[in-house]
Amino acid sequence: MGVVAVTPAGTGAPGQPEPSPEGTVIAPNIANQDVDETPEQRTARFERDAMPLLDQLYAAALRMTRNPADAEDLVQETYLKAYGAFASFRTGTNLRAWLYRILTNTYINGYRKRQRQPLAQPTEEITDWQLARAAQHTSSGLRSAEMDALDQLPDSDVKDALSQLAEDFRMAVYLADVEGFAYKEIAEIMGTPIGTVMSRLHRGRKQLRDMLTGVARERGFLRDAEVAS
Amino acid sequence: MSCGDPHETDCSQVLAELWLFLDHECDRERRELLQRHLDECGPCLEEYGLEEHLKALLARKCRGDHAPDALKQRLRESIRQIMVRQAILSAEVTVTRAEDGSIVEVSTAVESRTWSTTEG
Repeated sequence: MGVVAVTPAGTGAPGQPEPSPEGTVIAPNIANQDVDETPEQRTARFERDAMPLLDQLYAAALRMTRNPADAEDLVQETYLKAYGAFASFRTGTNLRAWLYRILTNTYINGYRKRQRQPLAQPTEEITDWQLARAAQHTSSGLRSAEMDALDQLPDSDVKDALSQLAEDFRMAVYLADVEGFAYKEIAEIMGTPIGTVMSRLHRGRKQLRDMLTGVARERGFLRDAEVAS
Repeated sequence: MSCGDPHETDCSQVLAELWLFLDHECDRERRELLQRHLDECGPCLEEYGLEEHLKALLARKCRGDHAPDALKQRLRESIRQIMVRQAILSAEVTVTRAEDGSIVEVSTAVESRTWSTTEG
């Protein structure tokens, strides 16, 4: 009774999206990765490192797509892409930022088109008005009242306000303030220069603050006299 | 625009950089300079307090959504399926032959393993 071991030739390295040239025997040619990581080892690594971030990615997807069904689809596609490319992911680099980058690209290239949203207002021109406004002290008496009023807003009001921001502003604010990414990371995730990130962030925050103050006033948490600046 | 008191750095400059300070995006030297100003200028500190508050408020109120369990389950299954396909492609195939040369069994290393599904 003989045992013959046959290794199939021309098998693409696991996780390689591109098929290998026909007839070529390739070792898993994954640079920067532990050599000979088996599919099950890679899967275990993915489940250990990437799966715990699923809730975060879903929350971000929800802020992007603004509806749960699209958010689920977006996250699913993101994770399957990430898994497919995980062999090329360098251990030690920022996995969270890497996943957000895939999420953002998937969203921009797919869901945004499909959703047929009206185009976001132009966001790229750098204006000084937000800085000009920021460079003045707000009228006295407003600030502490405003702070208290904003605290009373239910989560849903704050989420709604965020969802009303133009998409680029919304994502910049979300990534900076909710996810705590550094400007440099946001620039990488969104594929824009840091200056653009700062502009989006500043304008987004300014709009959001105005919007929230307005909501707080509608809710009666802030009296008209207190917001009249 | 200034609060009227003399400062090493003008209020307008500090206010223009409040977000950089808040986001920890200044270098150390700049940070110390802004910090000194905030320590001695009430109106700027108050403005900073509001922006800081707003940032914290957003973080607090806009997180906490959980992915549905069904999605997690579906993803894990899909990933397992892809993995098994990949494992089969790259696995060694073992062919067991009888003495007359006929094939008794063909097995792969993959099939002999037990898969466990991690729930969570």
